[in-house]
Amino acid sequence: MVKLVFLGKLRGEGRDDLVAPPNVMTLADLKDWLAHCDPALGEALTTMRTQVVLNREIVHDMALPIGDGDEVAFLPPMSGG
Amino acid sequence: MDIRLAPEPFDPQAEEAAFAAGRRDIGAVVSFTGVCRERTDGEGVGELFLDHYPGFTEKEIARLAADVAARCQCPDIKVIHRVGRLTPGEPIVLVVALSEHRDAAFEAVRLLMDYLKTDAPLWKRETGPNGERWIEPRADDIARRAAAEITDRT
Repeated sequence: MVKLVFLGKLRGEGRDDLVAPPNVMTLADLKDWLAHCDPALGEALTTMRTQVVLNREIVHDMALPIGDGDEVAFLPPMSGG
Repeated sequence: MDIRLAPEPFDPQAEEAAFAAGRRDIGAVVSFTGVCRERTDGEGVGELFLDHYPGFTEKEIARLAADVAARCQCPDIKVIHRVGRLTPGEPIVLVVALSEHRDAAFEAVRLLMDYLKTDAPLWKRETGPNGERWIEPRADDIARRAAAEITDRT
C-alpha cells in the first residue's frame, strides 16, 4: 500500500486514508486517480504550485514508479518563518 | 548546527545564550526572533496553527541552514521553529548565527530567514473573527527569495 500525506490547505477529511488501487503504478497515475476520486483535490493539485515528496525526497519526475511501502506527500506553497 | 522543531513555547534569550556559551572561537552572535502578531493584513488573529511534515520539515530546514552556513562562511547556526498551535505574542522562530566577525553572522541570519519564509516545509493557518484561512507566501517574501538568488532544488 502507498501511504498518502496531504499538508497545509491540501489536508481534507479522510484524504490520508485514501488507498490507491493496484493499477496506480507511477506518480502520474496517482495524481490522475486522485483527481478522479476527489475532483476538488485534483484541481488543487493542478492549479496550485504543489511539490511532490516521495519517501521524504522532493521529486519532479512524475513517471517514477510507486508501490507497496512508499510514502507520497503533496506540499502546497510553504509559509514558514 | 542545531535545528529543532518546538511544539511548546521556548525562550529565545535562553536558547541564544546556551548556543553561544563557552564559545571562545567566535566574535559575533547575531539572532532574529519572529513573533506571532495579533493582526495580519488588518485582520485579527486569535490563534495560529503551523502544520509540518514530521521527519521532512526538520531535514529541509537543516539543509537550508547548511547551505546558508557554507555560503556565508558562517561556522554555526541554530534554528528553532514552532509547530502546532500558538497565540499572538509567542515566538515562532529563532535563528542564531555565530561567526568570527559580524558580517558573516548578520548575512547568515538575514539570508536564512528569507529561505525559511518560502522554502521551509511549514504551513500557517490563522483563526480570526472571519474563521480559518491558510496563509500563502507573501509577494514580497517571494521577491526577496528571488533577489537572494537562493539555489533551487531542481
